[in-house]
Amino acid sequence: MLSVTGLGKRHPGAARPLFSELRFAVGAGEVVALVGESGVGKSTLLNCIAGLEPADTGTVLVGPDAADMARLDEAAAAALRARRIGFVFQAFHVLPTLNVAQNIAVPLLLNGIDAAEHPARIEELLARVGLAGFGSRWPASLSGGELQRVAIARALVHRPSLILADEPTGNLDPRTADEVLSLLLERVRASHAGALIVTHSQHVAQACDRILALTPEGLR
Amino acid sequence: MMRLGWWLIRAQFLARRGATALSMLAIALGVALGYAIHLINDAALADFSRAMKAVQGEPDVVIAARDGAGHVPLALIDLLSRDEAVAVLAPVIETRVRIGDTPMLVRLIGLDPFSAAQLMPMLLPDQANDAMGRLLDGAVFASPALAAKVGADTTVIRGAARWQTHIGGELPAAPAGERLLVADIAWVQAHFGPREGVGEIRIRLHPETPLAAWRASWAPKLPAGIELRAAADNQARVSNISRAYRVNLNVLAMVALLTGAFLVFATQLTAVAQRSTQFALLGVLGLPPRQRLLQVLVEGLAIGVPGSAGGLLLGFGLATGFTRVLGGDLGGGFFSAASPEIDAQTLPAAGFFALGCLASLLGALYPAWLNRIQPLAQALKTGFAQRQRPGAGHALGRDLLLILVLTVGALALTRVPAIADLPLGGYAAITLLLILGIVSAPLATRALFGALARAWLPAPQKIAVQNILQAPLMAQVAASGLIVSFALTVSMVTMVSSFRTALDQWLDAVLPAPFYMRSKAVPLPAELLADLARPDSPFLRVERMAASSFSLDPQRPAVALLVREIDRRQPGARLPFSGAVIDVAPTEIPVWVSEAMQEVHGIAVGQQLRLPLLGRDVEVTVGGIWRDYARQFGAVVMSADDYLALGGHFEATDLALWPRPGQEAVAQSWLRGEAQRLGVEAAASGEIRELSLSIFDKSFAITHALEAAAMLIGLFGLAVTLAASIWLRARELATLAALGFDRAMLGRAVVLEGAMIAGIGLLLGLACGIGVGAILTEVVNPQAFHWRMPLRVPWTQVLPVAGLTLLAAMLASGIAARQATRMPAARILAGAQ
Amino acid sequence: MDRRQFLLTPLLLPALATARPPAVAAYATPKRGHVLRFPADHGAHPKFRTEWWYVTGVLDAPRAELGFQLTFFRTRSGRAEQLDSPLAARQILFAHAAISRAGDRLRHAERAARTGLGASYSTSDCAVQVGSWHMRREGQGDGERLRLRAEDRVLGLDLTLTPTQPLLLQGDGGWSQKGTRPELASHYVSWPQLQVEGRWRVEEHSHAAKGHAWFDHEWSSEVLDRGSVGWDWIGINLDDGGVLMAFRIRDATGATVHAHACLREASGRIQRYASAELSFVPLSHWQSPRNGARYPVQLEIRFGQHAVRTRPVLDDQEIASRRPLPISYWEGLVELEGSLHGHGYLEMTGYAASMAL
Repeated sequence: MLSVTGLGKRHPGAARPLFSELRFAVGAGEVVALVGESGVGKSTLLNCIAGLEPADTGTVLVGPDAADMARLDEAAAAALRARRIGFVFQAFHVLPTLNVAQNIAVPLLLNGIDAAEHPARIEELLARVGLAGFGSRWPASLSGGELQRVAIARALVHRPSLILADEPTGNLDPRTADEVLSLLLERVRASHAGALIVTHSQHVAQACDRILALTPEGLR
Repeated sequence: MMRLGWWLIRAQFLARRGATALSMLAIALGVALGYAIHLINDAALADFSRAMKAVQGEPDVVIAARDGAGHVPLALIDLLSRDEAVAVLAPVIETRVRIGDTPMLVRLIGLDPFSAAQLMPMLLPDQANDAMGRLLDGAVFASPALAAKVGADTTVIRGAARWQTHIGGELPAAPAGERLLVADIAWVQAHFGPREGVGEIRIRLHPETPLAAWRASWAPKLPAGIELRAAADNQARVSNISRAYRVNLNVLAMVALLTGAFLVFATQLTAVAQRSTQFALLGVLGLPPRQRLLQVLVEGLAIGVPGSAGGLLLGFGLATGFTRVLGGDLGGGFFSAASPEIDAQTLPAAGFFALGCLASLLGALYPAWLNRIQPLAQALKTGFAQRQRPGAGHALGRDLLLILVLTVGALALTRVPAIADLPLGGYAAITLLLILGIVSAPLATRALFGALARAWLPAPQKIAVQNILQAPLMAQVAASGLIVSFALTVSMVTMVSSFRTALDQWLDAVLPAPFYMRSKAVPLPAELLADLARPDSPFLRVERMAASSFSLDPQRPAVALLVREIDRRQPGARLPFSGAVIDVAPTEIPVWVSEAMQEVHGIAVGQQLRLPLLGRDVEVTVGGIWRDYARQFGAVVMSADDYLALGGHFEATDLALWPRPGQEAVAQSWLRGEAQRLGVEAAASGEIRELSLSIFDKSFAITHALEAAAMLIGLFGLAVTLAASIWLRARELATLAALGFDRAMLGRAVVLEGAMIAGIGLLLGLACGIGVGAILTEVVNPQAFHWRMPLRVPWTQVLPVAGLTLLAAMLASGIAARQATRMPAARILAGAQ
Repeated sequence: MDRRQFLLTPLLLPALATARPPAVAAYATPKRGHVLRFPADHGAHPKFRTEWWYVTGVLDAPRAELGFQLTFFRTRSGRAEQLDSPLAARQILFAHAAISRAGDRLRHAERAARTGLGASYSTSDCAVQVGSWHMRREGQGDGERLRLRAEDRVLGLDLTLTPTQPLLLQGDGGWSQKGTRPELASHYVSWPQLQVEGRWRVEEHSHAAKGHAWFDHEWSSEVLDRGSVGWDWIGINLDDGGVLMAFRIRDATGATVHAHACLREASGRIQRYASAELSFVPLSHWQSPRNGARYPVQLEIRFGQHAVRTRPVLDDQEIASRRPLPISYWEGLVELEGSLHGHGYLEMTGYAASMAL
């Protein structure tokens, strides 16, 4: 689902590269944790994989497409992201001006999926993330855990090949965090997508199938 | 994707109802103003040309005497009538007369019914009761508006000439509102002249005649003092009458529209800033970059479309209302007071609609671009990135260069002469000057507050100063809005005040006598003059003037000829000269021309001119140029002695009267009685002055409304952008709060910041405003209206407005600060929504 | 185009003078025995009330079924007689041109102006002008001819008329009686059998003209008595070189009040017929669809041993107008059949409305 080879990135003006010659893959239904100290480049790596930041070297292949995310221009990268990647963020990033169903519908709209299919897919996902009947609720009325469930539904609704999650439980209390994490793992595995979860939490990392540790010397 | 766009627009409009509605309103006002002006003017012109067609017919060519004292000789009529290209040749003598002793001035049209039947049938009576025969026999026929008011037997009077005649009947097809009399041309000629000819001949050519070639073949055969006008010339003449007035109103509409664009700009910029995280999220989720640009543009358009549509409706309503109340010329006095029918046509409406939409798109352009270039990952984490200024040294050089270029450009543009009679250079210079104000804002900020940053200040003030010096985008936008709106306000106040002061002084100079009597271009009755000359009349001295007109250029409105009893060695005693007055050699004929003549015809002091007077070219010398706010299309003053020596008749139309000492009251009541009896105007100079100034104030009342609107819009823009900028800095404020700043301190910092931004805006606005005012008085007014005036800045009006604006700005930032600091600091710092 | 237009026909022009008692304008009266002198008497006689120079003709191409007519009328209206103005409408000139073709409708155009404002005449020779239209005599002896020009949008005439026969002074040496009272008379000069050359045009189609014309010049102050309503008149160039002129004045019942005919044979022998020797018999009528007037377009005229009939090349040669006054008359090209044969013009007035001359 994700194949990274020879990936390298140096910030302009920096003495040495942030990382170089990174090589790893995430398989279907596999959940991989990415851990490492602050400033080691986890977010940059994630941005490079998502095509939000250009890499200096290497290739990033997402899903069955042969397109190299690291080499795409902005518009093509956006199109590939919309099709193949689902995102879950620490800050949830649920659009406050859209209701729950509309928020989940955004990736469907970006992929041009027939509006007639939306209600069924959204209802199904809402049920799977435990928010059945929440479709017409507004984000302001939801708790943090509920918001992150909406975000998970949104990340999965268009059946992406890869889920990128950045500290998905970072803003949640431990109990809710546990619930959300197991939901995320369960849904990713069920969807046969691959997932890369950036986390500081040992607890979260342990729950994943595999742990990649990013250090200044490279991946471990 | 459409659906997503619609969701976002709806959410945006719902979230920011007030700002959206105001932006729409501003666009609507701009469109409405422009459209209303267009509709009213169109209707007035159509009405005017309908009436003119009815009275003039639709001749292909008019051959006319260039001045009132000239005539088209009979020999020329004979020659022209034999030309096979001439299908109809209609000679006409038109003059203004008084009917009996009633206070009524009417147009008397002497026509030849044989030719009029083909060219001006609406000026002929019905054929019942041998009307044609009675017309030839010397009966006069009256338009419906007049017929109701005159008896069967009547005397038609012009100056000393009297014609005892009778009303033969009505002119059923004459234009409804017109007061006119029609008689056979021979009878008019016999009583009122011209002796050996007619006033003009109107010609219809055979359809296949090439007009230009025909004109060229006849032009050299025409005697001096006769001009040949083609139909197109007449149209140009009519259009020229109100053109400058119209264009200036349209410029005001454009200003309103641009203000609308600015509001859209401010609204959309803050909208982009506030939603930068949302847009970043959508971008991460895969919204194409082009779509991020389009979305903001479409949102702008979503303001522009309903705004423009509303503007069209409002404009139509305004036009209908205004024509009912003020008549077709918006009080400009160019056309008759009849209220014309408003006729809304599709194409102009579509044009104004498009203009409104364009303005809204224009306003959304920069915000849209800003939205497009936001770095996604960063914006998602930290929100809207206000562009930080790059290295100061580099920016300084670039800014200085830009300021220099703009200044030189603006100055150069003020030197550009009028293009097609329009002060386009002046308008362009004004635009550059406003841009100059905006561009110099960061520089001015650094110059003013740079020292403060190095000084010791309490923490809140220090923070405010630091913030301002960083010149964040929002602050610049807020200041720009204020610069532009305050500049426009100051310039309008300055222009109006300069004009009013100049008018006041001018009235002093042109009204030396205590009393005046005026009969619009119709000679005053001879008995009146005889009565005034009697030893027992209450007047010590009477100065006569005869006002008429002549044509210098067939495409332009006629120039006034004022023949006055004036001492040619001391014209300055009667005329307000604006420059040098020269002594003209006794062998030459001096004339003194108004500033409009100088502007329009490029006439200079000392120049020799050939004026078409008395049916020939008369060589005169310009002795001086005087200021005239009364006659926009130019006036020439000649002494009565010179005019008589040239062979002209001096028939007074205007009198200046000095009563005998102690008999002022008697004189005044005598004048009033005569004026009422004769239907002429008589007034004391004080009344004329008051009336003139009150007319002036009324006609400029609309500019005060515009000033208020401009200031409100500027203030609103300031409030919106300040609020947005503070909102954007919520995180920073929260940090400060966490560091121990209390709410009052934060409030002080924010209010000080608002005050400094407003201060910069007002200062630059004032400077620009004075500059724009100078361009308006020195360039735009002389070029468009042909009058000049000295610049005068009304500090007593400008400074209070500036003070109030400053207070309002501080208030607005205070409110914004309170709202921003009301949110719990912890939540903001946690980065939630 | 809905324009109110004055009807400026020759019939209306005298009407301009009606409202005023004749005392104000001192009109001259035709005098029997007055000797006409030419070319001066070809010119205008402004002291008389009415005068016309009237040319009708028949053109050869393709057959003799094309006629033209160009008339200049002068009227001294009696209006503005005392007015001190060079523009006073004392003398008004009217010109009328028409082309009749078999199978076509009548084409006509007109001009009107007062002298000084687009019209003029000479009192020393034939030279009248209204706008660009004119008729004038030029040359002497063999070179003598009449020049005619009238250009309008609908038609154009540019003709030269060369005499082949001497003038024909009608009545008694050019004094032509019109009724029982001696004042009811005119001075009347005809110049028949004129050779026509030049061009004629209908709309944009211009053609060479060749044929024969008839010139009448008549001036008078009073011709119709009370009770008379109009006249029938013919002027015919006979094929053999002879010429025939005949007229009658009718009353309201259609009875003849006064009639006269003059036949000049090719040899030059002139025979004149008085009222009693002359009869006009309508053979068939054409009814105007415009005003219902019934014109006896086929008229049998008997005089002496002669009986001739008119056959119009076109039934509808009526010149009619509804506004402002419903005045109409018939004037057109006819072929003359019977004991004499030729082509010329028939004029019939007073059928549609009473003539108030």
